[in-house]
Amino acid sequence: MNGTARITCAAALALFSQASAAQDAYVVGWTAAMTGPQAGILAPVVEMAGAYVNHLNSRGGINGKPVRLIVQDDQGEPSRAAANAKKLIGQDKVSLMLITSVSSTFAPVVAETRRAGVPLYFAGAVCPKETLPPADPLQFCSTAFGATLDSQAALAFIGKNSKEPVRLGLAAMAIPISRGEIDYAEGLANKLGMTAVEKQITPPPTPDYTPFATKLKDANPNWVWAWSPWFSQVRTYEAMRRIGWTGRYLTWAHLNAEEELERIKDPGFYVIGTNALFQDNLPIQAEIRAVAARANVKYPTTYLTEGYIVGLVLETALRGAGWPPTPAKAAAAMSKLKVDLKGLRGGPLEWTKDNHFRTRQYYRVWHWDAAKGAVVRVQDWQAIEVKR
Amino acid sequence: MQLAVNIAVLASIYALICCGYVLIYRVSRVLSLAHGELMMLGAYGLYVTASLFSGQPLVALAAAGALALLVGIAVYVALIWRMTGESVLAAVLATIALGILLRGAMLVAFGTQTQYPLRDLGWQNVSLPLGSASVSAVGIALVASTALVYGALFAFLHGTRWGMRMRAAGQNPLLAAQRGIRLHGVYALAWGLATFTGGLAGMLIASDAGIESTLAVIGLKAFPAALVGGLDSLVGALVGSLVVASAEVLLIHYVDPLLSEVVPFFVLLAMLVVRPWGLFGTREELDRV
Repeated sequence: MNGTARITCAAALALFSQASAAQDAYVVGWTAAMTGPQAGILAPVVEMAGAYVNHLNSRGGINGKPVRLIVQDDQGEPSRAAANAKKLIGQDKVSLMLITSVSSTFAPVVAETRRAGVPLYFAGAVCPKETLPPADPLQFCSTAFGATLDSQAALAFIGKNSKEPVRLGLAAMAIPISRGEIDYAEGLANKLGMTAVEKQITPPPTPDYTPFATKLKDANPNWVWAWSPWFSQVRTYEAMRRIGWTGRYLTWAHLNAEEELERIKDPGFYVIGTNALFQDNLPIQAEIRAVAARANVKYPTTYLTEGYIVGLVLETALRGAGWPPTPAKAAAAMSKLKVDLKGLRGGPLEWTKDNHFRTRQYYRVWHWDAAKGAVVRVQDWQAIEVKR
Repeated sequence: MQLAVNIAVLASIYALICCGYVLIYRVSRVLSLAHGELMMLGAYGLYVTASLFSGQPLVALAAAGALALLVGIAVYVALIWRMTGESVLAAVLATIALGILLRGAMLVAFGTQTQYPLRDLGWQNVSLPLGSASVSAVGIALVASTALVYGALFAFLHGTRWGMRMRAAGQNPLLAAQRGIRLHGVYALAWGLATFTGGLAGMLIASDAGIESTLAVIGLKAFPAALVGGLDSLVGALVGSLVVASAEVLLIHYVDPLLSEVVPFFVLLAMLVVRPWGLFGTREELDRV
């Protein structure tokens, strides 16, 4: 057999074995920003969900079949995400697509999945409004943060914890999702009788946040609410402290919040979020530790709740789809899905026919307690109904 | 007063970064588009040495500085030297490839988590009063480092034999070579010094804000300041940085913070229209570009 024939046979064999493997497994495609500027808060989700799937397969998979996750890095670039979606749907014949990337990658992936009738699950990425009631039949989301709901919960907390009239500063990053949320918060603050004194929007890469912080501080807010990627939230806060601002700062609890609260050690720095911190020591958190350790996940355990939730949701959805899975069966199973999160959030994650976000969103708030020398919870689960 | 302090700190950041662009361009006519990545590598160098020399912050800093210098020399020896005889454009493209390679390598080696080298050194970025304003300790270090680096470079270029060789190689490499100056040695030194100053900027920015994947992009943000001042002039780099930083800080404060992203490029465009070779650049040099 000459070289060319050998290569042709090997390629045919590889294709054949891939197709056979696909037929014997639940094939799930995933386009994710495993590298690129936002990888720090997105890649841990994928790694942990991958570890969960390995764990699931080691226990016999679903309905006796393994789950095959095909992860493709899109680096947060729309063109790569589109190519990934095309390949995963057209070549790998996935029953379900996941996306964990920046919002600019959504449109091409949504277009591809819609064309093929494949359900698209936003896992750790921003939930698009199409997942909220009335939901798009093919779009689903389990990500902790939710636009408009987060500002509602945050401003309710600020209102409850302020003896004096609230003079609110707002901080966002110059990306559409963050700016939209802070614009919404500005309007909401006015409705709640607070005074929105200043709004600062910082560009994504900025060498020094002090000029932005100076303007925010000069408006003399007693509270600041920031909702953007972590580095933008925390750099603005740190710059404000360095120029002498003494007010309280509330911000979104991204994956690294627990670790960062311990680094910052400032009682005036609060985070609001929907995932329990590992200080709770729940049995399921011990399980997350064990699964992550077995898979040698390189991120701190405190970053992994979101990814584990994705694993739980994926398992429930594929179980509901039965065997053999099809995109239509997966979408039908996901439209009536309820997952017990065992304390990782304030309640179960529930998707219905017209709500693919969750029916109820629960919030907690934490800060650093200097007297105790520990991160403490200052507000327990507060529920917000997610309505049409 | 706070605005003046903010301008001084931001201008220092830009000037420290620009220094590397100017040194390499002035001596070898190559525009290094890997400067942002080399800057980030310098920051990671400090992160590594801070762990290696735990409890000895000054040793860690010195080691990180030396490492940056050696990396610059190694980049020249391993890559840019091989471009000898090729067009300048080929060398510029090689630096783009180097940047992509370095970004990938750093991702593999250090992951995507934010690192805080200052914490690993055992130091804190405290706030210090300065009249009616406040400035961080890292802010003061930035201004002082910039002053020291530029002062030392002027002294080196005008008062030492190697400095004179470097200027000669920049002005007329053929004549310099005929006079016995070893051009490759001079170019390697220029790359070493440029990477050292860029690395220093990276270390200081990382000490203030941690090492993020956006650090490499900040390297490119300083580029307009170098062009405004004149790409072959160190004085120009200082003045260009001050002009761009002033425009940025004042517009953030008095007009709209969103303008901070576009203002360096707006100043650059205005300069290109009025004086394309920059405030202190040489007209002849730009014609060659």
